[in-house]
Amino acid sequence: MDPLKIDFDKGTLILQNVPDTLKSHLPDILWDERTLTFRAPAYRYRHIISQLRAHDVAYEDSARQFTVKSFTNQKQVSPYPYQSEAIDAWHANGKRGVISLPTGAGKTFIAILLIADTQRPTLVHVPTIDLMHQWCEVLREHFGQEVGLYGGGQHELQDLTVTTYQSAVLHAPHYGNRFGLAIYDECHHLPGDQYQYAAISSIAPFRLGLTATPDRVDGKESRLYALVGECCYEAQVQDLSGKTLSEYRVVTIEVNMQDTERIQYEEARRIYLNFLKKERINMGSSRGWQTFLWKSSQSEEGRTAFKAYLTQKQLSFASTAKQEWVWKLLQRHRGDRILIFTQDNDTAYQIGTRFFLPVLTHQTKLKERNTFLNGFRDGTFSVLVTSKVLNEGVDVPEANVAIIVSGSGSVREHVQRLGRILRKREGKQAVLYELISKKTGEQFVNKRRRQHDAYQRK
Amino acid sequence: MLTKDLLLYKIREGQIYPQFVKPTDSNLLSVSDQLISVFEASPNTQRVTLLETSKHIIESTAGPVIVKRGLEKLLLDRTEFDTAPNEELIAFRQKLFIETSRLLSQDQFTDYEEYQEKVLQIAGGESQPEKEVLGDRLYADLPSCQPVVSFKTLSAEHLLHRYNAAQVQGLLLHCNSLTLNLTDSMTAELRQLFKYLRFNQLLCTIRHVDRHGDLPLQEQKEKVGNNDSYEITVDGPLNLFYKTKRYGMNLAKFFVAVLHQPKWEITAEIQFRNKKSSRLFLDESCGIRPISQQFLAYIPEDIQLFQEMLRNKTNDWRIHPGSQFIPLPGDFYCFPDYQLIHTCGREVWIELFHPWHQGHLLARLNTLADQTETSLILGVSKELEKKPMIADALETSEYFTEFGFTFRDVPTMNALLPILNSFVDSNS
Repeated sequence: MDPLKIDFDKGTLILQNVPDTLKSHLPDILWDERTLTFRAPAYRYRHIISQLRAHDVAYEDSARQFTVKSFTNQKQVSPYPYQSEAIDAWHANGKRGVISLPTGAGKTFIAILLIADTQRPTLVHVPTIDLMHQWCEVLREHFGQEVGLYGGGQHELQDLTVTTYQSAVLHAPHYGNRFGLAIYDECHHLPGDQYQYAAISSIAPFRLGLTATPDRVDGKESRLYALVGECCYEAQVQDLSGKTLSEYRVVTIEVNMQDTERIQYEEARRIYLNFLKKERINMGSSRGWQTFLWKSSQSEEGRTAFKAYLTQKQLSFASTAKQEWVWKLLQRHRGDRILIFTQDNDTAYQIGTRFFLPVLTHQTKLKERNTFLNGFRDGTFSVLVTSKVLNEGVDVPEANVAIIVSGSGSVREHVQRLGRILRKREGKQAVLYELISKKTGEQFVNKRRRQHDAYQRK
Repeated sequence: MLTKDLLLYKIREGQIYPQFVKPTDSNLLSVSDQLISVFEASPNTQRVTLLETSKHIIESTAGPVIVKRGLEKLLLDRTEFDTAPNEELIAFRQKLFIETSRLLSQDQFTDYEEYQEKVLQIAGGESQPEKEVLGDRLYADLPSCQPVVSFKTLSAEHLLHRYNAAQVQGLLLHCNSLTLNLTDSMTAELRQLFKYLRFNQLLCTIRHVDRHGDLPLQEQKEKVGNNDSYEITVDGPLNLFYKTKRYGMNLAKFFVAVLHQPKWEITAEIQFRNKKSSRLFLDESCGIRPISQQFLAYIPEDIQLFQEMLRNKTNDWRIHPGSQFIPLPGDFYCFPDYQLIHTCGREVWIELFHPWHQGHLLARLNTLADQTETSLILGVSKELEKKPMIADALETSEYFTEFGFTFRDVPTMNALLPILNSFVDSNS
């Protein structure tokens, strides 16, 4: 009988000449009527090859388009004990799995060591363009070789390549057989409806997930573990605070709105809430926001309610009183490196324009992004205003003060923002200020996110 | 395309009904005309100004706001903005921020106003700008300030047809697969359909839905004509394993080609996040006109080149674009690229496989594995042949050895003529 043949096709594997006796051992392959071949999702490659070897089945593998590559780490830095433990745990887990460490604990460094250990062409997945460039720099520094980029208009493949998740979903069907190691940074994004196909369409047998917070509100972390491997190492922020992370404190400042703003806020909120009540819209339900958008577009009253919603939100996010507090804190922390976070771009530019500060949002062009980030790191700029682009991963170890002017109710977002200022520096005491508009919805939101471990100091 | 919040539909008893507008509705035609005029006059104006003007039309005219916002979105999709970085402004900002950073790090101010005064001095030297002027200038290159470069105009009626097509496309973004039934389709329309299918990386299964299904293959071939009906199931490779909307965008783009067919029906299961799925059924009676160009009279360059090469070698064969579905064993069909007719009347078809057709080629070789009587020639790109699995499949395929050839860019007559002539020889 002809040997079994396996090949890669648009993010899947096609198999020919599959012996009947083997079919029951390969539950993930199905007969495809459209092409008259057996087919399997690409991520099952390792499982299929293991089964073929276990059953001594001869096969021809045209799917795998990578070989062993030697990557030499040119920087001789010793890992912390917990980093070595994480590395050992990943190897022991069959070179698969998720490592969960707080921001600032050196997850990227662990990945560098694992790339050098694994010796396979590697594709690193990241959620943002900023992170893509940051990873590119780090890989170049450590391995002294060209690094490919896929995303933000760039399309270059190298043995070490960094891509955004979004780009990987589109392009993995073409290059998903070129890499032996897949790294998923901020991997809690991976189980998303679309992002998961970046992992499904790749044959990479070795997989590493990195995150500070693997848990998801929708409980889809099990999907993450199925695609990348189980969580093989985990440490909490309190375990490392003061040792490998900076000491930190969180200060909540409750801000009183000015009288005129308070009146506007109350009036706008009344109109908005009345509309919700009248239309029986439950904003707490999963369809609440969509229903509100739809119903508010259907009548003059709805459109007024929508405007009122925006007004009360804008007032609680960026009241004059909050801006006064920003000014006080800027003065209090002269000489410090300050990150100011807002919930939306409008508020970020409002603050940037009022205090003449650099603002970094997804609208900032690449060249200026780099100028702002590098300038902040080297001290040319002491303050940086941002909405959400710095929430995740981007490394600004010099930052020691964060001012949260406004944010979502997401615990993850706040832990990540806190993480921006936790990178250890000699004698560094990090402080995170939360500005909360008193007697507004923000107070409830704040209460909810304070449930997280990072706020429950031992 | 329309985003989810701009879709208008009703769901009744598991069926989803897109709410189309009447392309003859005088009020909507008037609103469309007004919006188009604003967009036509928009080059060199800022995005924010354009949006304010269109918003005024949306709010001040009669008719559902959601429809008018949808029309605005489709016009924005046809508008190009200048997104190039403003280097002068970037340099100004950088210089200013270095100074404000120094001020904030080193100096103590009695109040904000003192700081502001100092910044204004630095920004303007002696000709100190007003604070509002500086504020407005600082981030004057944000997307809202980008000027319009160009706008691809269209008629009001065409816009309303596009709106209806976009309603369907917006729903198809949320579907797993699509079933298309075609009747009476002509050659060029079908060619366009399959071009879209392959271009969008989709797979399909074609089945002949007809009264001749039980007849022997040769008789089917004789009966298959343009009046028959075909059921084409369209989806992507991963649909075999997941009920995924991964190919929703590909299917939405593919729908554009469906609109060129004279008689069509589509069925799709639409599922929005966290909602029960609903069935979309639509046919040509919905009245949506094609929204893309059609090249019915156009003879593709490759055909012209092929015709010329063939004429130079022989006068016995004439070449035409593929014209109909060809029945294959196992209730399958293919739509070949070319049809060749010999002076004696013998018809032969050629199907070409390019580097991205690996799956299709393997399927075809499997389907034709035991065929000895045929009219289908397979042409395989040399690039595709480089793949070990394909090279192996071609080498072991008796069908390909007899009825196949490889080509670099376009098929050559040297490779093709011997096979073509063997059909006439075997016929005679």
